[in-house]
Amino acid sequence: MSASVLVPGVVSPVVVSLFVPAIFTGLIVGIIGLMAIAYQKNDLNALILTDIVGVGMLILVAAVGTDLAEAIILPGLVVELAEILAISEILMSREMKKKGKNAELIPLPLSMDMEIMTTAPTFLALILIVHGAFLSGFTGGAVAGGGILFYVLSKRMRGVPANTWEGIAGVSGIAWCLWLVGFLVFFVFPQYWLLALFLAAFGIFIKVAFKAGLIGVIGREEFSKK
Amino acid sequence: MFDIYIWFYTGVALTILGSLGTALGPGVKDPITRTLNTEVAAVGVSLIFLTYNHTIGLLTFIAATAIITMILLRAIVRLEEVGAEL
Repeated sequence: MSASVLVPGVVSPVVVSLFVPAIFTGLIVGIIGLMAIAYQKNDLNALILTDIVGVGMLILVAAVGTDLAEAIILPGLVVELAEILAISEILMSREMKKKGKNAELIPLPLSMDMEIMTTAPTFLALILIVHGAFLSGFTGGAVAGGGILFYVLSKRMRGVPANTWEGIAGVSGIAWCLWLVGFLVFFVFPQYWLLALFLAAFGIFIKVAFKAGLIGVIGREEFSKK
Repeated sequence: MFDIYIWFYTGVALTILGSLGTALGPGVKDPITRTLNTEVAAVGVSLIFLTYNHTIGLLTFIAATAIITMILLRAIVRLEEVGAEL
């Protein structure tokens, strides 16, 4: 393969041998998705098909097979999520203006007023948060954030404690600054690398975990409308 | 013990079949069927990520796919309640 000249020696031969098939898979999936969007009359169906185009994009990025690929997959996913959320909101509000009718904010067909929602959340959220703090970093943040989110969603029926969430959003911002400071220390004072590592690890842990706080803020604003 | 190529090419086949199914599979005029078909492609991509050892990417991808499915289903149900033609 002529392209192998450009590949550094540290890349494993398995990744190199999978590169061309992965690129072609990504291109084929992307073309299928784009052709289907081009022939689509309905807006909602076109929106669902953008998901497939996003999948093709992810395979193209993943084909690099290094840490760089992983670092680019995460923002790609977040951008795709935000895009689908925004476009679906636009579609819904447009149809509602057109028809002059209003639909429920979260169309949930079953009542979630179960016994487990009142007894379990505190215990489960505590275990998830402690485990997440022990893991630290991005993964720990995701685990602890799942715990906080579970707590919020199950307490929603009894009313979310309103003014706690603004404070949590503020702490999230401060933790982001900790992460940035840790990153800076890596470059400016390399001899304090351990301090920088812990600043970055726990900064991103608190940041990711308290992203759930933002969902709590949005939830409070939406639910107080009713 | 584990042949990497089996996982990779299973993922490739599932992704291409899933995207074909989403684009022109049976019954895709119904948006709910179309949304469920995207899950097949999502499983294929998960297998490809698994081959490459993209752990964090796989974790985030699974969470993001679940959230995207929830967003799409919510959009479908709300649009149907309003009475838009789908």
